[in-house]
Amino acid sequence: MVRAAEPPDGGWGWMVVLSAFFQSALVFGVLRSFGVFFVEFVAAFEEQASRISWIASIGIAVQQFGSPVGSALSTKFGPRPVVMTGGVLAALGMLLASFATSLTHLYLSIGLLSGSGWALTFAPTLACLSCYFSRRRSLATGLALTGVGLSSFAFAPLFQWLLSCYAWRGSLLLLSAISLHLVACGALLRPPSLAEETAVGGPRAQLTSLLHHGPFLRYTVALTLINTGYFIPYLHLVAHLQDLDWDPLPAAFLLSVAAISDLVGRVASGWLGDAVPGPVTRLLMLWTTLTGVSLALFPIARAPTALVALAVAYGFTSGALAPLAFSVLPELVGTSRIYCGLGLLQMIESIGGLLGPPLSGFLRDVTGNYTASFVVAGAFLLSGSGVLITLPHFFSCFSAATSRPQDLVTEALDTKVPLPKEGLEED
Amino acid sequence: MRALSGLLGARAPTPRLLLLLQCLLATARPGSADDSAPDTPFTTPPVREEMMEKYSNFSLESHNISLTEHSSMPVEKNITLERPSNVKLTCQFTTSGDLNAVNVTWRKDDELLENNYLVNATGSTLYTQYRFTIINSKQMGSYSCFFQEEKEQKGTFNFKVPELHGKNKPLISYVGDSTVLTCKCQNCVPLNWTWYHSNGSVQVPVGVQMNKYVINETYANETKLKIKQLLEEDGGSYWCRALFQLGESEEHIELVVLSYLVPLKPFFAIVAEVVLLVAIILLCEKYTQKNKKHSDEGREFEQIEQLKSDDSNGIENNVPRLRKNESTGQ
Repeated sequence: MVRAAEPPDGGWGWMVVLSAFFQSALVFGVLRSFGVFFVEFVAAFEEQASRISWIASIGIAVQQFGSPVGSALSTKFGPRPVVMTGGVLAALGMLLASFATSLTHLYLSIGLLSGSGWALTFAPTLACLSCYFSRRRSLATGLALTGVGLSSFAFAPLFQWLLSCYAWRGSLLLLSAISLHLVACGALLRPPSLAEETAVGGPRAQLTSLLHHGPFLRYTVALTLINTGYFIPYLHLVAHLQDLDWDPLPAAFLLSVAAISDLVGRVASGWLGDAVPGPVTRLLMLWTTLTGVSLALFPIARAPTALVALAVAYGFTSGALAPLAFSVLPELVGTSRIYCGLGLLQMIESIGGLLGPPLSGFLRDVTGNYTASFVVAGAFLLSGSGVLITLPHFFSCFSAATSRPQDLVTEALDTKVPLPKEGLEED
Repeated sequence: MRALSGLLGARAPTPRLLLLLQCLLATARPGSADDSAPDTPFTTPPVREEMMEKYSNFSLESHNISLTEHSSMPVEKNITLERPSNVKLTCQFTTSGDLNAVNVTWRKDDELLENNYLVNATGSTLYTQYRFTIINSKQMGSYSCFFQEEKEQKGTFNFKVPELHGKNKPLISYVGDSTVLTCKCQNCVPLNWTWYHSNGSVQVPVGVQMNKYVINETYANETKLKIKQLLEEDGGSYWCRALFQLGESEEHIELVVLSYLVPLKPFFAIVAEVVLLVAIILLCEKYTQKNKKHSDEGREFEQIEQLKSDDSNGIENNVPRLRKNESTGQ
């Protein structure tokens, strides 16, 4: 039976895009809209705001740290069973949370249980997506990630409405049922028919080979630096605006404006990444530099029009770099190691995501305003884009994807791992 | 208060001297409204001085209203008062006509007040001033100054106790859960807070039963009522009442107690829908794979037949076979 050697770039791949769309909506959209529950938890548990914030922080941390586990499992079992299990875990966590009587209960159920459920869903799905697309990979990733933006829009009012009807316990119960749709999304992830790509070396061998891969390590460093500065506006922009005496409603409106341009940026950048010849790393560097610059300019802007323009610019550029960050990876490590690579990447870059906001908050406490925070965030992004220059094929005229996937695999793997050469000539 | 008004009424016999002195003082210090002593040029009788000392540690509230003959709508000023205070109300009326023809009166809630107010004229503006002390809720209300020319011009000062700002959305909770009802007063400190519960029309004060209700008043300007082990009957309207020296203020909070079955029904509906979706997706895939396998088997069968026939054709067909192998090996 003739098996396809090149990814199909279409066909069932578009269903995978749909699945990834809903998954990113259900994972990150929920996380981003959790602020709506924040007020209810503060009132219900009579705790300080900082202790309540840990719920979402633990969830995000577990999701990112657990990504390598999800990736390793999906290398072994395929993405479908792993994502479906993740969906069940995430829903179970929310279900248990609806019965919570203390804050620790919430930390464990939402933070740990749902977080590990989310860890098992996101990385395998994106890796599966990369297996289905090569020429249109950036566009597919961009379209899939728009789920985050749209769901942030839809979920915030939805959660508010749920809270007004059912209070937080009932809302968490219904949220658990909504999160169960991750299982349905997982069912859509049909394993691609690229047999000779997926069975090369076990997960542990792949991980070790990745950790010795120079470009991959440099890329991880770059993304960690980028991640440190990336989330700061989402957390601190509203507070910064209130420091400038903005009312809460126009401040929220500015965030919505940034979210819309984030959405547009994702799709536009995805399309651009595929349309423009040459390595995608160059585009990624461009968007990262622009994001860093717009972040650093935030403290200087005082007039409302300038702030709106900067919010649009930040939203567009930060949305633009998201899909490219994921589509550079297959070019670096090959589609066979994409699962492990993505997982490892998420785990290491999460350090940046965890450290960035507290650092920004600390700078704010020390200096009294957000100028230092935004400038430092911009600096992190710019240094990340600087590291991107050191990646291979950066200055070449040809895209790295034109090199055959098998070559990357053979030159990167240890000689200790026997190469199943017979698989390459299968009839 | 009555004694004071009586003593002030004793000044009525010499209005012209009063007016002259008032005008002199008004020109010397226009608009200042801080202290009371310079406005009373006479040696005050001893009893009145004692009264003044008793109330002298109250703060002074001064308020102004300006009217003209062309004011079409009555002018109102809302004043929030929490503690007993000395009050000085001033109305000024500008007209082009004759000031002496204007009749000045003061009323409290439609009740005409006695002659314990001052009237003064400067240029084309008529000033009138009414001073009194608010000690309890009986003195709260609306005080109005009237200028009667051809038309009557009215200025009103409304005195109210501070209002409690409340949330309009109902509080939702579940049977067996506990909830906290909060009442907060923005910039005021009431003397006392009380809670009432009404299930229907009768208001019942909320007693402090040990296991059921806990009232927490850590800050003076807010009160929290914690209700544990909610039952369906605990739902309804709750009222928190703030008692000030000058009156009371109330706020309404609605509590809704739901049973667990309420969100459970949509929950099971959504779970059933997810299970259905998963089943459809997996079944569709099995169906298409079965079809593919049949067509693949058919194709493989054809290929095997082709190879058999190639073999039987002889060695000269090795070349096409090699080419076929190479193409599948890529």
